[in-house]
Order: sequence, then C-alpha cells, then structure tokens
Amino acid sequence: MTGKRKKQVARAIQTALILMAIFVMLVPIIWIFMAAFKTHVDVYQLKLFFTPTFANFGTVFDAPYNLGDKLLNSTIIAFVTVVLAIPIATMAAYSFSRFRLRGETAMLVVILATQFVPAVVIILPFFVMFRDVGLLDTRLGLILVNLAIVMPFAIWMIKGFIDGIPLDTEEAAMVDGSSRLQVIRNIVLPMAAPGLLTAGIFCFIIAWNEFLFALILTNKDAVTLPIGLALFKAEEGDLWNLLSAAGIIIMLPMFVLALIIRKYFVQGMTMGAVR
Amino acid sequence: MRDNTLKYLLVLPAVLVVFATAIWPLIESLRLSFTVGRLNRPGSLDQYLGWENYTWAFSQEPAFWNSVWITAIYTVLTVALTTLLALGLAMLLAPGGRFRSGVQTLLILPFAMSPALIGVSFRFMFNPEFGLFDAFFGVMIPPLADVSWLADPILAFAVCVMADVWGWIPFLTLVLIGGLASVPQDTIEAAQVDGASGWRVFRDVTLPQLAPVLAVVIILKSIFSLKTFDQIFMLTNGGPGTATQTLSHYIYFNGMKYGQIGYAASVAWLMVIPMIFLTYAYAKFVFRKD
Repeated sequence: MTGKRKKQVARAIQTALILMAIFVMLVPIIWIFMAAFKTHVDVYQLKLFFTPTFANFGTVFDAPYNLGDKLLNSTIIAFVTVVLAIPIATMAAYSFSRFRLRGETAMLVVILATQFVPAVVIILPFFVMFRDVGLLDTRLGLILVNLAIVMPFAIWMIKGFIDGIPLDTEEAAMVDGSSRLQVIRNIVLPMAAPGLLTAGIFCFIIAWNEFLFALILTNKDAVTLPIGLALFKAEEGDLWNLLSAAGIIIMLPMFVLALIIRKYFVQGMTMGAVR
Repeated sequence: MRDNTLKYLLVLPAVLVVFATAIWPLIESLRLSFTVGRLNRPGSLDQYLGWENYTWAFSQEPAFWNSVWITAIYTVLTVALTTLLALGLAMLLAPGGRFRSGVQTLLILPFAMSPALIGVSFRFMFNPEFGLFDAFFGVMIPPLADVSWLADPILAFAVCVMADVWGWIPFLTLVLIGGLASVPQDTIEAAQVDGASGWRVFRDVTLPQLAPVLAVVIILKSIFSLKTFDQIFMLTNGGPGTATQTLSHYIYFNGMKYGQIGYAASVAWLMVIPMIFLTYAYAKFVFRKD
C-alpha cells in the first residue's frame, strides 16, 4: 500500500468509528423521542415506523399524573435556587479573585470539597430537621438544600470569569474617585454579566436534574419532574410512552440550555481544574 | 468602606450558606452516627450509642460489605472504561474540522440529561420484550437472546455500568479534547519526522503531556462513581436482590426505608473518608496553576 492509500484507509476507519460513537450516543435519546410519539401498542412492538401521535403529551398533564404541577415545582425551585445563589456567589467570587484573604486557600478548598460530599450524607440531618420544622415536602426546603450543591460550582465558575477581567479599568476608576462598591456595580458586573448568565444556566441545569434530595424530601406537593417519572409505573408495568413524553419534557429544555453554554461546560464541571 | 473590611463582608454570605448547607449537615451526620437514631422513636436521635453503629456495619452486616464490594467494582469498572473510551473518542475528535466540531457539540446532550432519566432510558433499552439494546445483543450474542437482563444479578450490574459509561463518556471526552489541544503540535511533528510510529508518538509524547488532565478526569470520575445513586435507583433499585446496591443506595435504604438514621449516618461517614483523600488529590490539581 502506498502512503497516500494508507492515509485514506485510516481516515475512513476513523470516520466509521466516529459515526459508530454518535450512533451509540444518540440511540437511547432518539428511542425516547420516538416512544413519546407512539401509542401504547406501538411501544410494545419495537416498531421503527409508526403513525406519530401527540396524545401522550396531553395525557401526562391530565389527572392522575398532573405533570404540570411537577413542571411548575421544578421551574420555581431551580429558578429561585439560581437567583439566590448567583448574587451570593458573585460577591464571594469577586473577593476571592481580587483580594488576599486570611485563610483564602482553606476556604476555597472547603468550598470545593463540599461539592464532593455524597448527597446522601447531607440529606440525613436535613430530613430530620425539616421534619421538625415542617419544611418537608415544601419548595422552600428543596431550594435551601439545592444551594448546597449549586453554591460551590457557582463560586468557582464566577471566580474563573472575574479572574479573566483585566484589572486596569477598575484601577483607573478607583483613581478617578469611585468607591469599591461603585466599581463593582458599574464596571465589574457589566463585564462579568455573560459569565454570570453562564454560571446561572449551569446551576439551573444542576438544580433541575437534582434527584436524591427531592426523592427524600418530597412526596406530594413539592415533587419535581425527575421524581415525577415514578408516576408512570403502573401495576401492569411501566407506561413507556408516557414515561418518554415526560422524559422529553425534562431533557429538552436542558439540551437547549446546555448548547447555549457549551463552551463553558468543561470548565464549570471541573471547577477550573481543566480550562 | 475600607477594602480590608469589605473583602470579608463580601465572602461572608457565601461562607454562611456553605456552612449551613454543607458543613453543618456533615457534622450533624457525624453526631447522628454515634446515636441510636431511629426515625420512629422520639428521643433516640440524642441517645448516645458509642461506636456501635460502626462495629455493627463491620461485623454484623453482610449487606454492608456487599454494597462496599459492589461500589468498589462499579467504581473501578466505570472509571477504567469511561476514561479509556473517552480517550479514544477524544483522539478521534481532536483534529477538529466541521464534522468533528459538530460531533463535539452533540456530546453535550447526554450530559445535560438527568441521571435519573438515563436510568429510566436504559431500563427501557434493556426491556426483555421490546428493548432495543436487548434485541441488539440478542442478535449479536445468541446466548443472550432470551435472557432478562435486569433479572440476572451479573447482567443487571453490567447494564448499570453501561448506563454510567454511556452518560459520562461525552463529558470526559470534552475534557480530554481540551487537554489534547494543549499538547504542543510541533513536538508531535518532530517525533513523526524522526520516524516514530503513531503508537510511539502517543505513548512518548501525547500521553505524558496529557497526564495532568488525565489525572483530573480519573479523580473526578472516581468521586462521581463512588457517589452513584440516581441511575441505580431508577434502573434496578439495587436489585435483583442486592446485586446492584451501591453504598449510596444502601445508606438511603437503611436511613429512609428502615428509619435507621443513626446507622445510615455511620455508613455515610465511612463513605466520606475516601472522598477526603480524593478531594485532597483534586485540590492539588486545581491550585497547581496559581
């Protein structure tokens, strides 16, 4: 084989491998999408071609499933979690980025470490406490514990963005007589805004997909979408067409959000260990 | 206001939130682990028991050791498989171009999927009557044609591993592509000019350069594998029997289903210990650049 021919073969093999990887990656997702538009009967026949129906998306919002309630809960809980977390995280991130604090490294390591604590450890005392103060099965309770998983990501991610903003504009404004708080409000916040939005979306995805806390803390009123999936287990087996329709409602918005912030996904998840 | 005061005021709310939502429950869990801690018995949460929960786990509970082993094997398998496959995929996709960049964009999707939903979707794919993967494996490996994957202890475990690997490869691939981009291209070309084979270039040039990123990937994935809960819960719920019961699931069951919150807290704390080492290792990489 000549060198050129060899290269062509290698390229063809590579393309084939990549296509195979896409196939394996997308098949479970596509399968859910298809099942969501199938009738109950079609699901059970492993059909590739079928007459699509939108009925499943109606059924999941009707009684007894009432997925709309869960959708509302998920949206409110994830949104309020983010709205609370981002300003608090931004203040801390600015300080960590611009000043030397006593015990700064220790604080940052502890914040990082809390991210790695198994959720099941954190939730046991919260369950006991919430039971005593009446926060079980409330949105507020879930918002409070969600802060535990969201804050470390938010602080580290926003710190990364602020680290990237050059100091000189800030310094020039300080020389001109602006106070530190004015500088933060008029210079840093506008420049960091895209970063804050990115961190906000990232945290929204995490809060939206959160499972264990909601499983333990909710049972009726504050149930979120991922827990709502359990509704579609019937006595005669899982109702796959309805499960799939609910699955799409859970994942489609997150797909859109993830694509918006895809450039920062790696940095966010690794807390800046990989840039 | 002076910067010296301000800088501490700015971090104060965040420190308070992290303390209240993460540090306090950790400490409270530790306290609970030394109590009788029954959910249905008022007062037992303050009833001191000494080390009994811990010794009970070690000496009286085969189910504890079962979940330790399941978690260990699960972690080793998922970390190894995910890292190797992600490295392969990253090598394939790293050269860039429109096609490969498009694929990279698609890689975001599985990772934006809720792990609980991944569990559901794999239960669907391995349904014995109409599961697509079940049918596929049945055709490819005839002995597997008539088995019910999720009813067999070993196969159910294999499905859990597959679901995990499927969910994590895309993200780790993206991280490794980032790592590969920082390997200096001229070093690779120099080695190629010197006549080194593709494998030699990979082993002697690419791999050593990639080592720090690879370490980050392995540590991060180990942490998430050790914690695994959502997928298992939706996929097998620990079954059949306890064949896929990871530590997180074991803790959940003892604490929430049996109401033995003191005992659950002690096992939870046993799980925190390896996390401390992994976090320490991870922190070293995060602060490496500063």
